[in-house]
Amino acid sequence: MGHGHHHVEVKQEQFVFSPKAKRFSIILMVLGLVLVGLGIANLGGHDNKHEAKTETAAHGEHGVAAHEAEGHQAAAHEEHGNVPNEAFGPRMEFHPLDKPANTRIWANFMIVGYFFLMISLVSLMWYAIQYVANAGWSVGIKRVPEAIMTFMPVPFVILMIGLLMGKNDIYHWAHYEHLGLKPGEVGYDAILAGKSGFLNTTMLFAFPTVLVVIWYFLMRKLRALSAAEDNGTKGDVSFFRTSTKFSAAFAVIFGFTMSIIAWLLIMSVDAHWYSTIFGFYNFVTHWVTMITIMAFIVAYVKKEGYLGIVTNEHMHDLGKFMFAFTVFWAYLWLSQYLLIWYAQIPEEMAYYQIRFENYKFNFLLNFVMCFCIPFLGLLMRSAKRNRYVLAIIGSIMILGHYHDVWLMVFPGVFGSGMQFGFLELGMFLFVAGLFVYWVFTALTKRGLVAINHPYLDESVHHDVGV
Amino acid sequence: MTIMGILDKKLSLRDRNKMLIGVWEDEDHLMSGASELANAGVHIHDIYTPYPVHGLDRIIGARRSKLARIAFFCAITGLTLMTTMIWYMYVHDWPMNIGNKPVRFTPSWAPVMFEGTVLCTAFGMSFFFFWRNRLVHGIKNELLDIRQTDDRMVVAIETVNGMDEKAVLDIMKKHGAVEVREFHNGVQTVL
Repeated sequence: MGHGHHHVEVKQEQFVFSPKAKRFSIILMVLGLVLVGLGIANLGGHDNKHEAKTETAAHGEHGVAAHEAEGHQAAAHEEHGNVPNEAFGPRMEFHPLDKPANTRIWANFMIVGYFFLMISLVSLMWYAIQYVANAGWSVGIKRVPEAIMTFMPVPFVILMIGLLMGKNDIYHWAHYEHLGLKPGEVGYDAILAGKSGFLNTTMLFAFPTVLVVIWYFLMRKLRALSAAEDNGTKGDVSFFRTSTKFSAAFAVIFGFTMSIIAWLLIMSVDAHWYSTIFGFYNFVTHWVTMITIMAFIVAYVKKEGYLGIVTNEHMHDLGKFMFAFTVFWAYLWLSQYLLIWYAQIPEEMAYYQIRFENYKFNFLLNFVMCFCIPFLGLLMRSAKRNRYVLAIIGSIMILGHYHDVWLMVFPGVFGSGMQFGFLELGMFLFVAGLFVYWVFTALTKRGLVAINHPYLDESVHHDVGV
Repeated sequence: MTIMGILDKKLSLRDRNKMLIGVWEDEDHLMSGASELANAGVHIHDIYTPYPVHGLDRIIGARRSKLARIAFFCAITGLTLMTTMIWYMYVHDWPMNIGNKPVRFTPSWAPVMFEGTVLCTAFGMSFFFFWRNRLVHGIKNELLDIRQTDDRMVVAIETVNGMDEKAVLDIMKKHGAVEVREFHNGVQTVL
């Protein structure tokens, strides 16, 4: 700052994963496990009550397949049956769908795996964008997304466990697939049959696996280039140029695959419903969360006395990113609803109907946590430059966006009557602890400063003005 | 004189005390010169450069721009204006049944309110930005040096009683000012 034209000698720094931070991550994991235990203990009770209350409890005597088939027909009927406007007919009513008690556990595996997989994926995207856009300001904090993206395989495994164990109960198209109904048979569903080319079990496992392999390869490649640059000589821009090429390739791949994976994994819990903006909406949910997490890590690393080259100017820019994409999130949140609301096509309505009728509190809480609080809280310049404000608002945002993913999945899987309870919070905290441990370990693997990056000097002198 | 000219009086270089002008050809020398002037306690009226020079604002102690606050008030104005407009048109004056949607506050209002807010903010900010930078119609350009929009950087210092003018000029020369002048009653004299 100030005398922007003086050359500054930047020294390499080595991050040490302090015992205090280790303790913090382990506390998160233990707390998470305790809450998961509490959640599972409550699960049985809830399920019994639920069985006793629902009329379909009697179906337990029949075979599982038949039982599920009827459950599915009920669901299909609900999603197709009525137009929500009084002028056209009675309102839809949603009931708790009859699912095995442990479905909730696998659905939690699924959302927490998906959430953190996307966090690590969009951090790679963020990294790639810095190269493609020739961004200079972010070079000082470049190691942080570089560490976050290494987390990719862990949530992928968690996600796959969830899918393997619970796919037939999470996705109603998945167990419809097992029924093998032909046209004309009772329970035949033309919409699901039409989508079966995309929504089938092979696709569910093969597609994410192939994509994660491709993403993982590009992630390793970009990290290797970054390490090679560190070991190279100052002034050698060949690694920068190669990184830009791989980043451009990744950006194109990401642009298509991000949407598709969101349709396949998340949107398909309401398989009759579709929204073309859904993939993009998912992207921005994770994008803004990842930027918040990145701001947290940068602030922590700075507080520990590292990264002297990262100033309040960089923090301010991260705050601006958080603010800007909060607005963008709200824009997509509303846009997705607005067109559906205007068009008034019954099958498009189901998604919002259940969320607004049976999950009104969660639906509105989502908007408050992801938009109202961050928008008003981060509006002022002084708020973006204050790390305590960023910490409070950021925590609300991270939880809010996790709750957003929960709200995308759970009403579709379980019908009415679910709550964001101990199990959900516990799973999230456990994986968050794992994430902290993993990312901070990755940060120690190489120097904290991209010492030979051609734009390092620009980042050091970054100044957003008075 | 136009209305803009009257409003501009406070920002104009007219009707000021004698001003000392230093002209530089590169920003490195300009920065060091401006730093020393500021350290010597000289109040720098303004520095005119053909492109932004980072860090200069901090050196001359420029206050933070009020543009953000103006943007906020423009946004509030736009939001109020558009909410009132759509309420008047769609609820009060001529309610219409479109797809059996309710006429009161509905999601369809949001785009109008949003666009109106953005429109007012964008126009308001542009106007105030150009006005503050003296780039709107009705304001006469006052270039201290014809090349200040091209390749020269001009430091303007308004003299006050008790100012050691010679010391100021010496600092300018020492830091590589290619020309020093004084400016009084619309006349420039090369020193």
